[in-house]
Amino acid sequence: MAYSVFLWRKGFRRDDYVNYSMLLLGFGLHTTAMILRGFRLNHCPVTNLYEATTFAMWSLVAVYLVLGLWPRFRFFGAFASPVLFGIGVFALMPNLDAEHGARLGTPTAWTSVHAALMALSYGAFGLSSVAALMYLTQEHNLKLHKIKALFSLLPPIQRLEVVVGRLLLSGFVLLTVGLVIGAYDLSRLDHPHAYRGDPKIVWSGLVWLIYLGLIVMRWKFAQGGRRFALGAIGSFVFVVLTFWGTNVLSPLHNP
Amino acid sequence: MALVVLGLSHHSSPVTIRERFAFAEARVPAALEVLRSSRVVEEAVILSTCNRVEIYAVTSLAPPVAFDSLREFLVTCHNYSDPLTDELYKLSEPQSVYHLFKVACGLDSMVLGETEILGQLKKAYDLALQHGHTGARLNKAFQRAFNVAKHIRTETNIQRGSVSIGSVAVELAEKIFSRLGDRAVMVIGAGDTSEKTARALLSRGVRSIIVTNRSHAKAVVLAQQLGGRAIQFDEWAKEFQNIDIVISSTSAPHYILDRVKLEPVMKLRRNRPLLLIDIAVPRDIEPEINFMENVFLYNIDDLQTIADDYLKQRKQEVARCEQIIREKAAAVLGRPGPPPSSGEVSPAFGGR
Repeated sequence: MAYSVFLWRKGFRRDDYVNYSMLLLGFGLHTTAMILRGFRLNHCPVTNLYEATTFAMWSLVAVYLVLGLWPRFRFFGAFASPVLFGIGVFALMPNLDAEHGARLGTPTAWTSVHAALMALSYGAFGLSSVAALMYLTQEHNLKLHKIKALFSLLPPIQRLEVVVGRLLLSGFVLLTVGLVIGAYDLSRLDHPHAYRGDPKIVWSGLVWLIYLGLIVMRWKFAQGGRRFALGAIGSFVFVVLTFWGTNVLSPLHNP
Repeated sequence: MALVVLGLSHHSSPVTIRERFAFAEARVPAALEVLRSSRVVEEAVILSTCNRVEIYAVTSLAPPVAFDSLREFLVTCHNYSDPLTDELYKLSEPQSVYHLFKVACGLDSMVLGETEILGQLKKAYDLALQHGHTGARLNKAFQRAFNVAKHIRTETNIQRGSVSIGSVAVELAEKIFSRLGDRAVMVIGAGDTSEKTARALLSRGVRSIIVTNRSHAKAVVLAQQLGGRAIQFDEWAKEFQNIDIVISSTSAPHYILDRVKLEPVMKLRRNRPLLLIDIAVPRDIEPEINFMENVFLYNIDDLQTIADDYLKQRKQEVARCEQIIREKAAAVLGRPGPPPSSGEVSPAFGGR
């Protein structure tokens, strides 16, 4: 995080392999911890809020580390690190790592797939907001005719907009499939209709609609550029800020 | 008889003032005629580019008297009535000769070492020569200036690398568009700088070029040279929706593109990014347009920021060039050359 601030101040002109290495080290430690926890629980560790959040973080870093193999995408880390730091602090909030005790029915493979897909979709949305942040930075520098725009290692803004769009679309597809599997998993409970007004279900529907709106706005009404980037960031901020609260209020997810 | 220079450039004044003092090429012979008939100067050349307006003159008057008259001529010629502080500068020998050599070599240009200015200087000199406004003094000074520029180009590295407006335009385009190979360029106004900018973009593989100019014949010639297509000047707005990069350098006295015109076009282009490079003085494109989403407007002054960095990188070469220029200037003047640039340009008048 501190090194990212340094890179931001330097206009991304420095080689940011240090940032990449630090994220790689963190990823290694995180993976080890997840494996140990998975063996202890005997299932994929994505069944409470803490685990889901850290899994989303893990998937976000994994995508970055693959992208960062190409030096011209390595600067992505300078933008991803503050987002990861924010999510990490959120994951450490009290009561998120609830005991794996009483649950509504036995977690099935579908439950794990649902949770994993949801976490991956939030990871994709997170990365799209990171790319959107890069877009806004570069667009700002170009608009104000700053020399940083020419000397930074950021890619062209048109390419960044495409990256934001594709990550958003990928996240939306994952979210849709995750929600469909979640609905199927719910239908197997004894009284599925009792959970129709569950805050988490309503919230998930709202998130789905927000991202659908963004996608339609871009492809149907050509609202790309700055507005689209702000939309991607705003939507993800909404997800991060409300994820915990709706989870706490949900009898289905927090019995 | 002394060679004097009075003028304003991107160093001393913003584009908003320079554009008010600019001479259209067609007006220059008549202006020179008026200047010489005033008997203030015996010989004169007017150089008017997007970055500078300068009068090079040979006078038998004392330089302070000549400067007052030249300033009055410049102000009257353009009906300029606003206050002037440090915008105009005055140079007498030996600084005037030294300055002429620096201008010819591109050392005084916005983009250090650029070569367009040499062509513009030759053109200004030829125009004065054809109309009989030069004599032995200016002929010798300008011929030497052209020789020095050639010498500098071959003997130093000052003109190597990305130092032209065209190259800077390419760099900007590469920071906006994913691939230049898919881009369409429109050149409005078939000037020298716009041609070079278009060539720089072509060398990076832009898809197509459309040229338009008030004189359609000129547009056709340039379009043929660039391998593009010429259109009538009143049709350029119709083609705009397919264009990604615009290079504008007309001599129109008003904006040819404003926000009201561009907004509906941006809707038709589905808000794809648009790079506008306005190298005209007076400006062709309303500055307000830069506030529009997905539109990136750069005028001639905006490129200054980019040029500054090149300036730093080439400081070593500048020192070498200045040494050569000092030696050559001393040979022309028959005495030691002026000291390095400190105090070379002085403001002409304290206020008006």
